[in-house]
Amino acid sequence: MTLEIDGLTHRYGDEPAVDGVSLSAAEGELLALLGPSGCGKTTVVQTVAGHLQPTGGRVRLRGTDVTDSPPETRRVGLVFQEPTLYPHMTVGENVAYGLKARGVGPEERAATVDEYLGLVGLGDRRDSSPPELSGGQRRRVELARALAPEPDVLLLDEPLSALDRQLRRELREEVARIQRETGVTTLYVTHDQETAMALADRLVVMNDGRVSGTGDPRTLYESPPTPFVASFLGRSNALPGTVVGRQPLRVEVGGVELAVGTGDGHPAGSEVTCHVRPEALSLGPPGRDGAGPASQGPAGRSPDVPYPSPEGVATARSLQGEVERVADLGKRYDVTVRLDAGDTVLVECRERPPTVGGRTTVEIPGRTVTVFRRGADGVMRAAE
Amino acid sequence: MSLADVAPSWRPGRPELLVPAALGGLLLLYFVVPFVAFLSRAGVTGVVADLSTPDAQRAIRNSLLTAPVATAVATVLGVPLAYVLARRSFPGKRLAEALVVLPLVVPPVVGGTMVLSAVGRFTPVGAAAAAAGVPLTDSLLGVVLAQTFVAAPFVVVTARAGFGAVDERLERASRSLGYGPVATFRNVSLPLARGAVLAGVVLTFARAVGEFGATMMVAYNPRTVPTRIWVEFIAGGVDAVVPLALVLLGIAVLVLTAVQHLGRVQTVTDR
Repeated sequence: MTLEIDGLTHRYGDEPAVDGVSLSAAEGELLALLGPSGCGKTTVVQTVAGHLQPTGGRVRLRGTDVTDSPPETRRVGLVFQEPTLYPHMTVGENVAYGLKARGVGPEERAATVDEYLGLVGLGDRRDSSPPELSGGQRRRVELARALAPEPDVLLLDEPLSALDRQLRRELREEVARIQRETGVTTLYVTHDQETAMALADRLVVMNDGRVSGTGDPRTLYESPPTPFVASFLGRSNALPGTVVGRQPLRVEVGGVELAVGTGDGHPAGSEVTCHVRPEALSLGPPGRDGAGPASQGPAGRSPDVPYPSPEGVATARSLQGEVERVADLGKRYDVTVRLDAGDTVLVECRERPPTVGGRTTVEIPGRTVTVFRRGADGVMRAAE
Repeated sequence: MSLADVAPSWRPGRPELLVPAALGGLLLLYFVVPFVAFLSRAGVTGVVADLSTPDAQRAIRNSLLTAPVATAVATVLGVPLAYVLARRSFPGKRLAEALVVLPLVVPPVVGGTMVLSAVGRFTPVGAAAAAAGVPLTDSLLGVVLAQTFVAAPFVVVTARAGFGAVDERLERASRSLGYGPVATFRNVSLPLARGAVLAGVVLTFARAVGEFGATMMVAYNPRTVPTRIWVEFIAGGVDAVVPLALVLLGIAVLVLTAVQHLGRVQTVTDR
């Protein structure tokens, strides 16, 4: 492993900022560290860079324990959210700065500066002064400066967060290309799940100083390991339910019984929270009840009665409700429905939605539901 | 640069600045009237003749010897202190900050008395130094001690503000690019805080070269320009002060111009 963090813990006074975080990045991997502000991401980065001495845990770079080494001895490239180019040096001098420290001779230095400025598409700005550059150009120069000494690990701490949306998208593509071309192992820290999903080979989701989920972005999105990942990675509806049967797992939600694909290990009768993505839900005409034998009388169903058919497992079940709010987002509508059971759900819908106040049904495909033990959700939410 | 940029920004009909301008103008007037009144005396005295007396020459020489030394000591010790105060919090930092401004808030004559009570001829330190042949009072060294005590806070306070304005992340970036703390200070922190540090040095020098109260207590002899001015005033009144005062003024203007030229420090902000 190029980068290994093992049981990292840090406290500011009595405040724990990071609590037992472990993660690793393989050679050439782009690992995104995703989490809300204040979750401890930056503390992790500063510890890897050596600007912060952790209260506990180890950091290893290429197998060497660097936890107690000063920053200048670690081969780590660092780009902050705020620009840190040196205003008293030219663009070229900024990029050469790290090479000089490593004892690279003047000729090789000049060649390397040209190479990396070329890589970020600013070959002609070598003699410019940083204040003359645009925000996006400055970001590129910072990337070039961090990459020129060929670090073992590149740490990007919210590098695009201060930019506007358009520029952020452009530079995101640039970062992806540059990372591909240089093959540098990268730890990309962001609170923006779109950026993280778009860039990362692998995602580490952090919440309240702890790792809440690790995996490739698609897997994390489709089968979130924790309620926090479910709600932070994309949008999620949380509905209270009760387990009514196992193998396959069946859950009663709002008077309707759903056969759900995942979430084993919940005993019958236990209270659970069901997470389902707004885009997995669809709206149906009012009054149409969940068809199929499985939805009949969930309350009276005994848990050990075998489930009718494998096909029935994936059947969508409908919940009755009233349209509370419709937001027109151009390419889709976000429809908020208040269910008769009292909960509200958000439904993404492509077609023209029913009018506000009208009756509707919400169809929940069982296999898109992720089930968590009740209370687990409360803990994670409260901590956020 | 467009025409609008170079055109004078003064336009009639900006009443919102009228009141502050009037108040500020009053203060400026109060600066300029005594200055002009004093300088108008210069014509009636033989400046050059007065300055060529051995006493005046000695005073000028002493001032030019001591003030740069005091400034150098204050800078070499004060800039690191300013950096630490700007970058770290530590137990007792409040106390350290209070100590830095102490010489600014006590009257110089009291400051001089404090120095005297620490290194005076009858204290252990002063006695030992005098026995070793380097008396700490009534000597050029005493002058330097008095000047440093009173003037050093200026460079500490100003440089501290300068270092505080340098984003610490610039230093972190430098460390991650392979430079140790000392090299980072030399390559990044100091160049970026240069303006403030130089301004602090200038202020410290100006204060040191004009220092009177503390110097009088610690080392009334040998005479510096300010103590000599006092002696002249007692003997000959206002007119007798003019020649040496002009010397002090000249030194101040020279140093300010030189530093501005070398460091391109902006003391006048154009808008």
